Amino acid sequence: MIVRLAWRNIWRNKMRSMVIIASVTAGLFAGMAIMALYKGMMKSRIRTVIDTETGHIQLHAKDFLGDLDPTLFIQGDEKMIATLSADKSIKAFAKRTITAGMVSTPNGSSGVSIIGISPQEEMNVSGLGKKMRQGKLDWPAKTRGILMGKKLAKKLKIAVGEKVVITMTDTADNLISAAYRVQGIYQSANAPLDEVNVYLSRKDLQDMLGLGNQVHEIAVTLHDDTLLHSTVTRLAHQFPFLAVESWKTLSPETSLMAETVDTLSYIILVIILIALSFGIMNTMMMSILERRHEIGMMMALGMGRIPLLMLIMTETFFLTITGIPIALATGTIAIEHYAKKGMDLSGMGKEMMESFGFETMIYPDFPSDKIGFIIALVFATALASSIVPIVKSLRMDPVSALQK
Amino acid sequence: MENAVIDAHNISKTYDPSGIPVPAIRNVHMHIAKGEFVALVGPSGSGKTTLLNMIGGLDHPDSGNIIVNGTDITTLRSNDLVKFRLHNIGFVFQAFNLIPVLTAKENAEFIMLLQKEKKAKRDERIDLLFKQVGLLDKKNIRPAQLSGGQQQRVAVARALASKPQFVLADEPTANLDSASAFNLLDMMAKLNSEETMTFIFSTHDQRVIERAKRVITLVDGQIVSDATPLQY
Repeated sequence: MIVRLAWRNIWRNKMRSMVIIASVTAGLFAGMAIMALYKGMMKSRIRTVIDTETGHIQLHAKDFLGDLDPTLFIQGDEKMIATLSADKSIKAFAKRTITAGMVSTPNGSSGVSIIGISPQEEMNVSGLGKKMRQGKLDWPAKTRGILMGKKLAKKLKIAVGEKVVITMTDTADNLISAAYRVQGIYQSANAPLDEVNVYLSRKDLQDMLGLGNQVHEIAVTLHDDTLLHSTVTRLAHQFPFLAVESWKTLSPETSLMAETVDTLSYIILVIILIALSFGIMNTMMMSILERRHEIGMMMALGMGRIPLLMLIMTETFFLTITGIPIALATGTIAIEHYAKKGMDLSGMGKEMMESFGFETMIYPDFPSDKIGFIIALVFATALASSIVPIVKSLRMDPVSALQK
Repeated sequence: MENAVIDAHNISKTYDPSGIPVPAIRNVHMHIAKGEFVALVGPSGSGKTTLLNMIGGLDHPDSGNIIVNGTDITTLRSNDLVKFRLHNIGFVFQAFNLIPVLTAKENAEFIMLLQKEKKAKRDERIDLLFKQVGLLDKKNIRPAQLSGGQQQRVAVARALASKPQFVLADEPTANLDSASAFNLLDMMAKLNSEETMTFIFSTHDQRVIERAKRVITLVDGQIVSDATPLQY
């Protein structure tokens, strides 16, 4: 009876109930859309980090990443290469020689990370070739070529084919310089990195640093993201003399951002629901005051506190949860649509998003893992919204209510 | 008093709505036996509704005791009073007070539902009552589609559904036309005799007073006469 009476009561004033149900639906839809967008943005950012910046895992000599000391190269890399090649979790790996240096042009100079790479290996690990905007990811045999980011090229006012001078310290602490011709200009989704990373032929850099065939970094990509933890553990066990680090350690800001954005999306949803709870509470209060006489009559007839509490609470729940299936259905359709088509956010500020390392085409991801939590939050909202109306109705005196 | 359904001893009630004490009931003694058909009469403000509310456990006297079937209801706590009303008293209000979103049948079985009676028992009782009040063909429609007289008959069916010890009716015919009022009174008189149900109603209505078997007259919160209609 309580359920039947509660359901019919909320439809006494159809317009008022429809407005509040529509508000809950819109609020939930907005909350889900924000969660999906944030999840899509973070997945995109993490994908960018793994696919184009760090790979899944990197191996270095211990302490190398502290100040890029060129003498801290990886020892015994041939045996290591064989081990990595045989590992079934590993999809590809790229060996890199890295040092800190400076790029100078007649227009200025800039501190950079100079990275010696093999084009073929990079294609498989970082997809550098796909980021080329001018020129090619290739080094003609007798030409010293350098690849630099679009942002750095713009800063130094340099174009493809023009010369730059790079300066660095070799493994014997000698300051060395060499002239290079800009072979190509790349642009990634991470503008800050584009300003500091320049690429040379690994062989050239090894020769300049006096390293022979030694490398400073091995970047590894895996067949599946879920293999990350187990592979890091296994490699750390196999190569105890090396620092074996996942992208989460190498790019802590991304890992932190993912957690922060997750929390932020919950906070936004909670704020939306708190705002809605006032509307729901107001509607219930109006409903109760309008039915004051009727509630007094029911109390006079022998309706106790518990059934009355259940009636008011059930009405509040109906008002609140009726919007859930509508919001879930419309939210799923909209999110699935944009998950396939993509949502172009370049209009919101392409440069700003790239400066934070985000792609501007976002593919929202339906937060299916959070649906249970969202529904629990909505139920909590209904419960919270019903408290004041319940207290108000329980405090009614049947005699005075019947006189109204 | 033996066989008394209601035994009120020296009850008084004073309201103090704006700092000025207004005595509503003064030292009233009253005994009502099972199966009586009693009219409480008197001018407006004489204390009829206050007395009914106190007998019904909706209001507390300032002093005195009201014993219903051996239970002193003035000593019951709020929750116990609710249970007491639910299981012992039927109410009929002047304004019918049916729940508009429930059908006539659902309204009538409301108290039985609160008492958690089984569906079969409810259906049997409601069908019998609707037959007695002449609304068997209208049990599935909502109050708004019924006339005032029909709504009050549903209210009487609701009051009787749980077979209470007695029914309290506060001016039950006040909002009814003559024909509806006579029909209702006939029906209540019939139920009074068939089900030995005790009826106590406050009224100004001479038609109601003439049908009563006992008329208690209140003036200024005091019983000034207790007689048969012919003596009244």
